[in-house]
Amino acid sequence: MSVTENWEPKIIGFCCNWCSYAGADLAGVSRMSYPANLRVLRVPCSSRVNPQFILRAFQRGADAVLVSG
Amino acid sequence: MKRTGVFICWCGSNIGGVVDIPAALEEVSKFPGVAYATDYKYMCSEPGQEKIINAIKEHKLDRVVVSACSPRLHENTFRKAIQRAGLNPYMLEIANIREHCSWVHQNDKEKATLKAIDLIRRAVAKAGKIEPLYESSISVKKRVLVIGGGIAGMQAALDVAEAGYEVVLVEREGTVGGKMAMLDKTFPTLDCSA
Amino acid sequence: MVAAVQHPNIKLLTYSEVEEVSGYIGNFEVAIRQKARYVDHSICTGCGTCWEKCPTRVNSEYNLGMGIRKAIYISFPQAVPNKPLIDRENCRWFTSGKCGVCKKVCQAGAVDYDQQDELLSVKVGAIVMATGYDLFNWQQAYGEYGYGRFPDVITGLQFERMSNASGPTEGKIIRPSDGAEPKDVVFIKCVGSRDITKGKEYCSRTCCMYTAKHAHQVLEKIPDSRAFIFYMDVRTPGKAYEEFYQRTLHEGANYIRGRVSKIYRSGSKLMVRGADTLLGVPVEVEADLVVLATAMGPAAGSDKIAQKVGFSIDKDGFFQEAHPKLRPMETNTAGVFLAGACQGPKDIPDTVAQASGAAVKVCALLSKSELATDPMISQVNESICSGCLACKAVCPYKAIEEKSISERVGGKAVERTVASVNMGLCQGCGSCTVACLPGALNLKGFTNEQLLAEVDAICL
Ligand SMILES: Cc1cc2nc3c(=O)[nH]c(=O)nc-3n(C[C@H](O)[C@H](O)[C@H](O)COP(=O)(O)OP(=O)(O)OC[C@H]3O[C@@H](n4cnc5c(N)ncnc54)[C@H](O)[C@@H]3O)c2cc1C
Repeated sequence: MSVTENWEPKIIGFCCNWCSYAGADLAGVSRMSYPANLRVLRVPCSSRVNPQFILRAFQRGADAVLVSG
Repeated sequence: MKRTGVFICWCGSNIGGVVDIPAALEEVSKFPGVAYATDYKYMCSEPGQEKIINAIKEHKLDRVVVSACSPRLHENTFRKAIQRAGLNPYMLEIANIREHCSWVHQNDKEKATLKAIDLIRRAVAKAGKIEPLYESSISVKKRVLVIGGGIAGMQAALDVAEAGYEVVLVEREGTVGGKMAMLDKTFPTLDCSA
Repeated sequence: MVAAVQHPNIKLLTYSEVEEVSGYIGNFEVAIRQKARYVDHSICTGCGTCWEKCPTRVNSEYNLGMGIRKAIYISFPQAVPNKPLIDRENCRWFTSGKCGVCKKVCQAGAVDYDQQDELLSVKVGAIVMATGYDLFNWQQAYGEYGYGRFPDVITGLQFERMSNASGPTEGKIIRPSDGAEPKDVVFIKCVGSRDITKGKEYCSRTCCMYTAKHAHQVLEKIPDSRAFIFYMDVRTPGKAYEEFYQRTLHEGANYIRGRVSKIYRSGSKLMVRGADTLLGVPVEVEADLVVLATAMGPAAGSDKIAQKVGFSIDKDGFFQEAHPKLRPMETNTAGVFLAGACQGPKDIPDTVAQASGAAVKVCALLSKSELATDPMISQVNESICSGCLACKAVCPYKAIEEKSISERVGGKAVERTVASVNMGLCQGCGSCTVACLPGALNLKGFTNEQLLAEVDAICL
């Protein structure tokens, strides 16, 4: 598969409300910056992430999935 | 048919200075289930909350999406607001377009706007599936266990006991007082430690 | 101390340990073991004849090896409660079946060699952790200070016992090796604190102040004495603290900024070799007594009690608060609160402040007759639950219980097991929903349907 030059992957993040979701909040509060191609979904715990959700994200066109907790 | 109301907050210029809110509003109004969408300078302020409450009544909204700061900040504020309008407080979903969007993508307004629209689309989709939730209650045994009989445990035990509740104070040694009872005089006043 | 024992609302259980905790906020069930003391405290008058007559002399733990006690003893004369217990390991009656002196001399008939441990069970709505601290074991880490080989190198807490009027020397500061009065006393701060290689990274917060206190006590109690303090920084952030330190300085305490590299014996004295980093020169100070300000660490066994009660500890083993600024006296487990040095090194003013704060949190909780629970918890669809209980195995909060239901199958009543969620215990993490193969468990507020709809929408 060839990758075109300005291609940006679509990344879906499942973030735990108590740690990494809060961490992503903190990144904002600290005015850090990161690429805009990550979209975060809030879960109450990384253990809430059913593999089914990840497969579904890929099915619907996500290029990468981040599970963080 | 579900009737979702979307309320986009500018947060002064915190969101409004990065995300093109009028453009986002136009997109969001077309999402399935959205019966009403509007924006305001500060959604969490008293007039902002009034705006939500009035819109719920006027447009017969049955669920609400607030696009603003992190739900970790104002989820409860908005739950209480929609409750005042007669909705179940859990008929709310927040799109975090400040911490997760405008603040971290300040240098790319265009992408920030597209992302904000995506984040609101997610919230509207979830809102379409939410149902009223009800808190239940559990009883409270009016007694406290304090583990450790040093100055910390004794102080806590005495304060709670003075308030009229029962205390069980457990100390593993034969006597109470902890380290403080071993001390001679204590700084900064040099009074005794008994 | 007496106030806590005498308060009608306080039931004091000394010589006791918590064995097991179950339940949840508002409804904890606690099993407590009260160890046998072999003295019936309900009839003992605390007269003291038994410990006077007891023939067995044991090193006193309370006096940190600097005094002796008997096998039947109280820790110190003003101890609360002021009634003795028998140390089974050392008592002749228990070790050889002979003696029985204490029983013979007790007028009240309180000595009871057959007393057994007592198991109690109590129900409480809240728990306050106040297990305090223990001092860092410097003997194992600091070879340069002699690994504990020199009797005249002691800890700050041993110094406290000596200068305490009811301690082993009745308030006299002496050299443990020969009982002589020391003239030159050297204090070394940050022994184990702020020392990543040998000890802990953190500052123990109390040592700067108690070392200033100790130096003051030396200068006050011993004529012609000198006090030398090796330090890295002097930290006095408390009301009237800097003034206290300044006073000690003006009394003549010698503060030397630098670390000590070696202590060695020189005749009957100790030589303390270090550096004065302000002058940039090596220094050697002759000392009669060396006092180490050792780091504070969590109390022995605090990891185990944290596990029993069910909350987390931090990287140093202190109890983890729910938020360092906003919720310093709460744990992440609802209904469990923190007070004092168990949460981190603290002096008495801070300890008392935190304890009163924790008490207010407890009162706010106990003042409610009912608590609203978060509705975002797991829910079982009993009709499709197979009763496999895979959910129970993964639940970190022990919130899943087995439940028996009866169903009508083909006109007959059949009993079967299903999972049931305890509302008080479930914290809404949702791990059970992933473990559930039939999909009988769902998490309210974060349902499978909701999350899939979110994924679909955000990938569009
Ligand atoms: C040398 C020295 C001098 C000091 N001088 C001063 C001073 O002058 N002024 C000042 O403000 N501070 C001083 N401090 C600090 C002071 O000692 C502490 O602030 C204070 O003792 C903390 O109280 P606490 O109740 O949290 O802990 P502790 O005093 O340690 O008490 C904890 C209690 O819990 C019990 N316990 C532990 N684990 C369990 C368990 N699992 N089950 C049941 N019970 C348990 C222990 O037996 C103990 O009785 C000094 C400290 C040192 C080392």
